[in-house]
Amino acid sequence: MKNASSGNSSRTGLHLQGMTRRSLVKSAAAAGFTLPVLGKSAVFAAPRRTVRQQDAEKPASLNMLYATVEADVEAIKLAIPDFKAETGIEIVLDSQPYDALQQKVFAELAVDSPYYDVIIVDTPWTPALTGKLEPLSEYLTNEALNDVSDPALDDFIEKVFFDTAVYNPTSPNLQFPDPSAVDVEAITGEGFEIYGLPLQANALVAMYRTDLFENAEGMAAFESEYGRALAFPETWDEFTEVAKFFTRPDENLYGTTLMAGNGDWATDDFKTLLAAWGGDGYMVSDDFTLAFNSPEGVEALTYYADLINEHKVTPPGVTSFSWDDASAAFTSGLTAIGMNYHTEVLAPDVQGNISYALVPEKVTRGPHFGTWMLSVNKASQNKEWAYRAANWFTNGPTQTKMLAAQLHPSRKSAYKAAKTDENATKFGNFYDILGQSLALGVGRPRLTNYGAVDKEIWVAVNSAATGSMTPEEALQSAADKVLALLQEAGYPVS
Amino acid sequence: MRHTPGQRILTALSQVALWIWVLLAMVPLVWMVTTSIKPEGYAQTIPPTWQFQPTLQHYVDVLEGAAVTPFGPLLLHSLVVAVGSTALALVLGLFAAYALARLRFKGKRFLAMWILSTIMFPPVVAVIPIFIMAGRLQLIDRYLTLIVPYAAFNLPLVIWVLRSSIRQIPEEIEDAALVDGASRMEIITRIVLPLAAPGIATAGILSMLLAWNEFLFALTLTRSQVKTAPVGISEFTGMFGTQWGSLSAAATIIVAPVVIMALMLRRHLIEGLTLGAVK
Amino acid sequence: MKPTREESNGIGWALVTPAVGVLLLMTIFPALYLLWASFRRFNLMMPENAAFIGLENYRNIVTNADIRHSMLVTILFVVAAVGIELVLGLLLALMLAPKSRSNAAAATLLILPMAVTPVVSALVWRELFNPNYGWVNYYLRKIGIMGEPIAWLSSPQTAWFTVISLDVWQWTPFVALILMAGLQGIPPEPREAAAVDGAEGWRLFWDVTFPLLRPFVAIAVLLRTLEAFKTFGTIRVLTGGGPGISTEIINLTIYRTALQDFSVGAGASLGIAFLVFLSILVPQMLRVLARDSDLVEA
Repeated sequence: MKNASSGNSSRTGLHLQGMTRRSLVKSAAAAGFTLPVLGKSAVFAAPRRTVRQQDAEKPASLNMLYATVEADVEAIKLAIPDFKAETGIEIVLDSQPYDALQQKVFAELAVDSPYYDVIIVDTPWTPALTGKLEPLSEYLTNEALNDVSDPALDDFIEKVFFDTAVYNPTSPNLQFPDPSAVDVEAITGEGFEIYGLPLQANALVAMYRTDLFENAEGMAAFESEYGRALAFPETWDEFTEVAKFFTRPDENLYGTTLMAGNGDWATDDFKTLLAAWGGDGYMVSDDFTLAFNSPEGVEALTYYADLINEHKVTPPGVTSFSWDDASAAFTSGLTAIGMNYHTEVLAPDVQGNISYALVPEKVTRGPHFGTWMLSVNKASQNKEWAYRAANWFTNGPTQTKMLAAQLHPSRKSAYKAAKTDENATKFGNFYDILGQSLALGVGRPRLTNYGAVDKEIWVAVNSAATGSMTPEEALQSAADKVLALLQEAGYPVS
Repeated sequence: MRHTPGQRILTALSQVALWIWVLLAMVPLVWMVTTSIKPEGYAQTIPPTWQFQPTLQHYVDVLEGAAVTPFGPLLLHSLVVAVGSTALALVLGLFAAYALARLRFKGKRFLAMWILSTIMFPPVVAVIPIFIMAGRLQLIDRYLTLIVPYAAFNLPLVIWVLRSSIRQIPEEIEDAALVDGASRMEIITRIVLPLAAPGIATAGILSMLLAWNEFLFALTLTRSQVKTAPVGISEFTGMFGTQWGSLSAAATIIVAPVVIMALMLRRHLIEGLTLGAVK
Repeated sequence: MKPTREESNGIGWALVTPAVGVLLLMTIFPALYLLWASFRRFNLMMPENAAFIGLENYRNIVTNADIRHSMLVTILFVVAAVGIELVLGLLLALMLAPKSRSNAAAATLLILPMAVTPVVSALVWRELFNPNYGWVNYYLRKIGIMGEPIAWLSSPQTAWFTVISLDVWQWTPFVALILMAGLQGIPPEPREAAAVDGAEGWRLFWDVTFPLLRPFVAIAVLLRTLEAFKTFGTIRVLTGGGPGISTEIINLTIYRTALQDFSVGAGASLGIAFLVFLSILVPQMLRVLARDSDLVEA
């Protein structure tokens, strides 16, 4: 129980238990607080600023907790040797699959465990974690700490940066009012903070089989049936027609994949459509009014369910698809169109080619996006070096290098580099489309219990998709439950 | 006994039905093993691919860590946890089982009932407080943090199996030793232990099976130092698709030792489970 | 009087104490902690704000239709899975009981499914029942049993079928092997005597064999029931509780609430409710078992 507060020990110096004298001195030096208990060691007592500029002892290694697949662990592995060459610090990497990672991150932070110095954080977790992650504004503006790498904040895709890293410490539910330029002083001036540096940015993109779309016979047949040229659809109305056109169950070919199974992916499909239909893609607004059961929401979900049940343009079993099922369906040649968060490679027995496109629009576009950021554990005993690592691993050159392992960069310079980098160009226009999608992306509501809210919405999407409920009923039922959840979490709902 | 033609047909039919079940039951294992030796990309084809160049590449990937994390250390962690928790359960279980089988003491009946009833504790429920406490006490990612809960899960069954097998040992042997001045401890280690060996084998393999295959506690209570193989398997599926080849290779590697052990100890396994039913 | 029959309180308790200690640590302590947490609004990230809220969490359980649903489907799942396993296991045991080389080989092969790691078996099942490339649909259509491909996990009925079939595949052999051992241990005399009296076939089995087999049935049912109530990983991988919430058994709800949403208080109250239910049910089952065997007799 005592150790529950050991993360604060560097502040108060009261909990000596479990810490060596040396590490205590070290962390005290880092935080710059007086430690009367140590008697003569009180020479370390110095104003915060000066100590900050004085270099904290360089650790031999830093522990980093990372996501195996979702944030592309291979990319980080590529860069680790370079970081060692640059700084002499070994990164001890521990990667976990998504659920385990989330559990681990929350568990480590909840008990203020100093074990991990740098932690990868997914957007939906951040509202609950702001108290446990080190605010970085002072680090970012401290010249001395940017000796290894220049943070170059204006190089981040603004939308990605604000959605991922900028939170109000006292009201973590708030979105930053003006996300047009990344400026530390403007952020702190509004009472916001920066809780990490974005790295892997995922957004929903569409992909299609050019061999099918450019098939002469098919093109002619489409044109005679619909009176326009066959091309990847710009709008959702066209999307239905194109998907219908390619749906040929006899040939084992269907129009499109969707991710309608139980899971976060179904919510993300829905909120993409909700935003496209002109609704509030965040689903719950800043003042906690529900925005997903609006008329736009009902229309969007009706469209979604109709693709499956009315037009039948999806492969069998789509209502239990997750993102990997959707990926498998597209890559095995089962569908002409796919929508997912990454590059695809067709299975060896499928002859064909892939091109990428923006997810279609209705009245507008708002593909779902979410980004992983590298954050510094507040309880870490090497916060300054942890910051340097987070900064270095997310900088432009490192991100560009990580393209070799298909990182989805968060920096504009990396997208510029991707135009000519053959690691990126071998995926055709993927990076171009990803960059555009990120600029249009719509994030998630900032709720500490988003996981529970998410689940009620995906159940609604899945229920409508399987036809067990009408879209209205499903959304209404979810709305009642979400309202109760918001109340439970202590949010002021009317 | 005479066999009528009707009986003979019945016997033949039942043999056919039995073998249909057995062969169908092998299908998932056939899927697993064939997928593990199919080249990448042939796991999901329509129709299923049967003609392919078998490859051991997935096994190499899995063991060398080309796929995700090297599997070798994970198998080692699993082995330590399985052996450690089984040893703990057997030692504690043997003493308790002996007391419950042979001694008379106050509260014994209640105790026997209570011990057995702890089987019901659902791991999903138990893991919540254990996870929180282990986190507070900085016990995450230690062998003991998995070994003790696994031993506790197995204790009721171990005690039950051992108690039955101790009761089948003629008491006269122990009485003679007691008269000769042997202590209880000597009786347990010198007389009961060897005579109860078949029961210990059964209890041991049941414990090993649970500890080797357990997922939830291992997922929740480890980082990387004691991460076990079943947790490693879940890393082959994720947002960017599932690596079926590597996954089935890893699965085959995990299942193989259990299968071999179960086959070797088949007779003990079946007898051990039924001991309690023999009055 | 034999020495072993003496009252030996000291030694007896000394020998059971280590085992009891470990069990207390892993059952009673967690239960008490859960009980404490269940009266609080206790979020993992804000442990210092664990406000006492009385019976609020329990009230939520009683009034929440989804939770009632998951408790109900948990019971239905256990009854269906164990029931099917008992019937099929008994049939298999009757086929396996005559001693022959063929039967010994069959019994050996039947052990294999039990050895498969549950997470693996669920992943394999998901692929076998995959509507597009799964072997089940492909070969059923090929031999003409199935017309349209079935999307197994997309409707509640077929999703339940898939979930239960996995449990039946993996655990029917367990029941079968216990009952087989039971049948093989039954002395032939009562059967022969009844046969001489003219009893035949079904009646012979039901009146003579089955009563002798009862202790084995009781043990198999008890162990399977307890294990079935613990089912978690397989359903999580296979359906994730879907479609909708149709296969969301209580363990999934508890896991999600406590370990994904980190509402420890709400999760704890669910855990306590589940424990209370089990501790009413299990002693009843043990009592039935005690009638038939020496399992819990002093």
